[in-house]
Amino acid sequence: MSYLIDNTEGAQYLLMGNEAIARGALEAGAKVVCGYPGTPSSDIIESLAKIAKDMNIYVEWSTNEKVAMEVAAAGSFAGLRSMCVMKQNGVNVASDFLLHLAGSGTRAGMVLVSCDDPGALSSANEGESRFFARLVEIPLLEPGDFQEAKDMIKWAFELSEEIRNLVMVRSVTRMSHASGNVKFGKLPPGDVHAVFKCDGFILDPMEGAVMSLPVRYKHALQQEKIKKAGEIFEDCPFNSYHGPEKPEVLIITSSACNLYSREAIGILGVEDRVGLLKLGTTWPLPPELLKRHLSRTDKILIVEEVLPFLEENVKILAAEMAPEIGIKTFHGKNDGTIPAVGELNPDLVVGALAQIVGIDYKPVPDEYAEKAEGVPTSRAPARELTFCPGCPHRASFWSIHNALQLDGRKGFVCGDIGCYGMATLPCGFSTLKTLHAMGSGGGIASGFGKLGRLGFDQPVLAVCGDSTFFHAEVPALINAVHHNSDFTLVVLDNSGTAMTGFQPHPGLKVSAMGEDVTSVDIAEICRALGARVEIRDPFDLGETQETLNELIEDKAGLKVLILRQICALSPEKKAGKKYDMTIDDEICLGENCGCNKVCTRIFRCPGLVWDKEKMVTRVDDVICSGCGVCADICPEGAIKRKEVA
Amino acid sequence: MKVFGANELLEDVFEKNLCIGCGACTYLCPYFRSYRGKTAILFPCNLTQGRCWAYCPKVEVDLDDLSERFFGRPYEKDPLGFHRSVKISKAGRQVSEGSFQAGGTVSALMSFALSKGYISAAALTDREGLRPVPRLAQSTDDILRCSSSKYTASPTLSALNQAINEGHNQIGVVGTPCQVLAIAQMRSNPMGDKDFSDPVSLVVGLFCTWAVDFREFDAFISERIEGSRITKVDIPPPPAEIMEVYTDNGKIEIPLDEIRELVPNTCSYCTDMTAEFSDISVGVLEGRPDMNTIITRTERGEKIVDEARKEGFLILDDIGKENLEHLIWAAGNKKKRAFIKAKQEGMLNAREEGARCYLRVRPETVEEIIA
Amino acid sequence: MASMQLAQDPYNIIITGVGGQGNVMASRVLANMLVRRGFNVTIGETFGASQRGGSVMSHLRVSATSSWSPQIPRGRVDVVIALEPTEGIRVLKDYGNPQVKILSNKRAIRPVGVIAGELDYPSMEEIRGSVQELASSAWFIDATDEAVKLGNPILGNIIMIGALSGLGVLPLEREDFKEAILRSIPRDKLDINLKAYDIGRQIIKQNEDSTGN
Repeated sequence: MSYLIDNTEGAQYLLMGNEAIARGALEAGAKVVCGYPGTPSSDIIESLAKIAKDMNIYVEWSTNEKVAMEVAAAGSFAGLRSMCVMKQNGVNVASDFLLHLAGSGTRAGMVLVSCDDPGALSSANEGESRFFARLVEIPLLEPGDFQEAKDMIKWAFELSEEIRNLVMVRSVTRMSHASGNVKFGKLPPGDVHAVFKCDGFILDPMEGAVMSLPVRYKHALQQEKIKKAGEIFEDCPFNSYHGPEKPEVLIITSSACNLYSREAIGILGVEDRVGLLKLGTTWPLPPELLKRHLSRTDKILIVEEVLPFLEENVKILAAEMAPEIGIKTFHGKNDGTIPAVGELNPDLVVGALAQIVGIDYKPVPDEYAEKAEGVPTSRAPARELTFCPGCPHRASFWSIHNALQLDGRKGFVCGDIGCYGMATLPCGFSTLKTLHAMGSGGGIASGFGKLGRLGFDQPVLAVCGDSTFFHAEVPALINAVHHNSDFTLVVLDNSGTAMTGFQPHPGLKVSAMGEDVTSVDIAEICRALGARVEIRDPFDLGETQETLNELIEDKAGLKVLILRQICALSPEKKAGKKYDMTIDDEICLGENCGCNKVCTRIFRCPGLVWDKEKMVTRVDDVICSGCGVCADICPEGAIKRKEVA
Repeated sequence: MKVFGANELLEDVFEKNLCIGCGACTYLCPYFRSYRGKTAILFPCNLTQGRCWAYCPKVEVDLDDLSERFFGRPYEKDPLGFHRSVKISKAGRQVSEGSFQAGGTVSALMSFALSKGYISAAALTDREGLRPVPRLAQSTDDILRCSSSKYTASPTLSALNQAINEGHNQIGVVGTPCQVLAIAQMRSNPMGDKDFSDPVSLVVGLFCTWAVDFREFDAFISERIEGSRITKVDIPPPPAEIMEVYTDNGKIEIPLDEIRELVPNTCSYCTDMTAEFSDISVGVLEGRPDMNTIITRTERGEKIVDEARKEGFLILDDIGKENLEHLIWAAGNKKKRAFIKAKQEGMLNAREEGARCYLRVRPETVEEIIA
Repeated sequence: MASMQLAQDPYNIIITGVGGQGNVMASRVLANMLVRRGFNVTIGETFGASQRGGSVMSHLRVSATSSWSPQIPRGRVDVVIALEPTEGIRVLKDYGNPQVKILSNKRAIRPVGVIAGELDYPSMEEIRGSVQELASSAWFIDATDEAVKLGNPILGNIIMIGALSGLGVLPLEREDFKEAILRSIPRDKLDINLKAYDIGRQIIKQNEDSTGN
């Protein structure tokens, strides 16, 4: 049984931030939880999915974030506490519904958890979701440690029911993917009965129609709700202050930056000079609390990641309060004290604070720093990202690259995020030339495919993963077919949402909760749209490349090639190697004319190693996954594969 | 000869649009491939010396070196190149009727060489629609299937390189002058390979004034035949000045001036009309659509022609004075124009340390040709 | 309550390696062992992306009192566990200090730039030299080779945890390991993991005389 459903009050576990959020949802009695996978948010749904049946909750990986939020909203409307979870980019996808939902209001408590990724550790941008809370006028909470990540979720549900609107909780990678000790509370009894009451007076919030109309009335109501939230925030247990009565410098912070700031104060030993106001409620800001603290200091340092959200909101309050609290000096992102981009860490906060309090801080003695500096960087050669050994994408992009080079008309590939986004790098032969939001490859290709009349004559390909196909590719394809745009979509179908950890998607026969579900066939959808559809195994390099060239030359509008091969990290593949790979040293041409290390220099699979002494390639058996593809790359047949018995 | 690598080849040939797509650099390694009439570079190769460069007929061709090697004398101004005889010919009774152009001499020679075991396979050019397709022929039927003229630049040497990869060591090749030049370079072991042995046993060269770019030709013709299937393409000997395209919906005629528009610029630098480094060269004969012109150059070429005649594969006759003069005039014209152009553009005999150029030949010879 | 005084509070550990080496699992197991002893442990994980090939680092902060920042400040690591030797050097350069100890696996995983011939991989002598330059004590262990002998190279991470327990710098008990590892693996894999743990511990115990250089 999962420790997440241990009902011992006070039991202490080491939990990942995301697990703490999941536990918080359980303690709050959430009954409907859904989302779309995206690092760093995915573990929340994953850990709940595992125990969904035990806890009688409904957990779903939805087709995309907008649908996830809609499914969760149905739960709230039916009187069930519900939660939807996504990474920052997902909030953009969901934002159309989000605006409507914030206007219509909710019934049973509903919480949106957005996990931002400052520094874009596993994202294609440094999206900032906090502005959505201000934009659509809903309350925003940010947990400042792991215990809070749990406790705050429960509190968010209560707040949501108090104001009858959605509450947003924003985590970050360093909270979601970090772990710490968390003390458990009680789990509530599980009996519920879902019913949607809609026969009441049309404007009745609990029994009428759920909508943002009439707009003037509902918008005013919404603003009353957010005002009420601000009042509740004045006494919120997640806002705290540590430090002297009248600090020389006041740090205002939230989220993981709370831990960095606390540590920075300790490292510099300025506990008696610097105060730390840690806010758990960052929209709307509680004005009285802020006034109290701002009035006791002259210098304020705002420590936050991504955009200066807190900084701007505090400054607005300070401007309004200036006659009472006086003129203050602000440090933060705007004046460059805190870096404008990238994630923070204790050292960056130490640096910012040291500058303000005038301390010359050195992390290690000069002598040691010089020694460390003296060790050449070549002793730890850089590790460029690469596809895993045995990754189908390496084979797929090999064929795509070669097909485009053979064609010779400067063709290119449009794509989006996903493991295959690394095809912008040498591991994917630098084939991918545009990379944007999920499904954007198809949309952009649809545009390029219509530029023929304006002189454009380059072949256009788009790529997407199987999960992405369902998420956002289909409307782009409909657009392409409808407008007779000429391009080839390659669906890199590796049977799961691989990058985020094999979450199921609509193409599979099993749901997040492990139940049998109806699978939706990508090929059938494309055929129904009128596209020419081919299906190949990307490990068959020759056939894949030939098919690609044939499709590229076929001018008949939208063509779809589905390249089907399971991810090398899937449990199925990891269970065992298909082939044992060896190299025949006698045959290997190495650096000679006729090969010049095509396997290690160009194909670059981590399972192959160039042996400088013997001047031949070796297989690293620990790393090689035995896919066998490199045998077909070798011009001399020196790489041998033998089927594992 | 000076040998450089793929990067220099890219710079000197590909980026200057001098590549004719002969196929000499393809299938030697994983990087050069032919596709739809063009040579593609799949990935960069950083070797400082490579066979791709060494075999390429469009860069650092040392005509004196090659001439010394194959004919024992430096390159001379003769418009037909070194030769032992010029005659006219056609296929003899031993050759079954194919759909060959003119006299069928090339098919006859290759069939003969294969039947006698002088070659074990022949690298030829077949056609799929308009697209030239390199083929390794290993039977007389295969040879006859490849018999018609193509008029498009073709990567025939892909088939040669693949044959060598497969271990063939007695190969016959039929090629255009640029291809024959590439073969000559290949046969002279430019990389100084210790285990080198010449895998080519017979080179039959084809007369060529120009070839058209396949992709442009394909687009050009497709517009005019509207989906019909092409069965044969022919340019009747002068003074017809037309190209005939036969399809299953009849014949269309296209003025040659329109076709010449499709000739790649690289052909204008070509100094060779009669494939001067072949064993035997074959072309059309003006005013006689049933016959070919045949030039023998090497001892083994002469021997094969002689035997083929004796065994009924080939019928030979003397060439008329007027025909010979016209041939010399046409070949000389092409050579002179190309040398003038190459000289004007500084593509001959680069002297500076490390400098690379298109052709190397004694400056006196150049002056004699240009005069 | 914490049952043993820590040399530092927080006591900072970095487990570093390359994606696919079981770094994350190792940090969870080690942290859970310490949580069982009553400590507060904070883990922060740093990776360029979740794929193999990139550097992966786990920061563990062990404290008797509270959670700490999931990122260890520069110069503040107490012990480094390097599942890959050059990754150890990378960590020492950023987080090392004159007192730092390091346990390093000897098995190289060459970056793709090295495989492609664009970069060089240092020799074992160069690696030793740099490590000893920056660490007060260093142990080099054939963890992957030992793990291969056990039948699965991934057990290298468990051998390294066993080795850490052998150093005696933290209250790491075999019994706690058993309970902690069972949260990550099926019970039938317990024996082989215990074996790996014991091998790591023995390697350190056998070489006790030669430690510190």
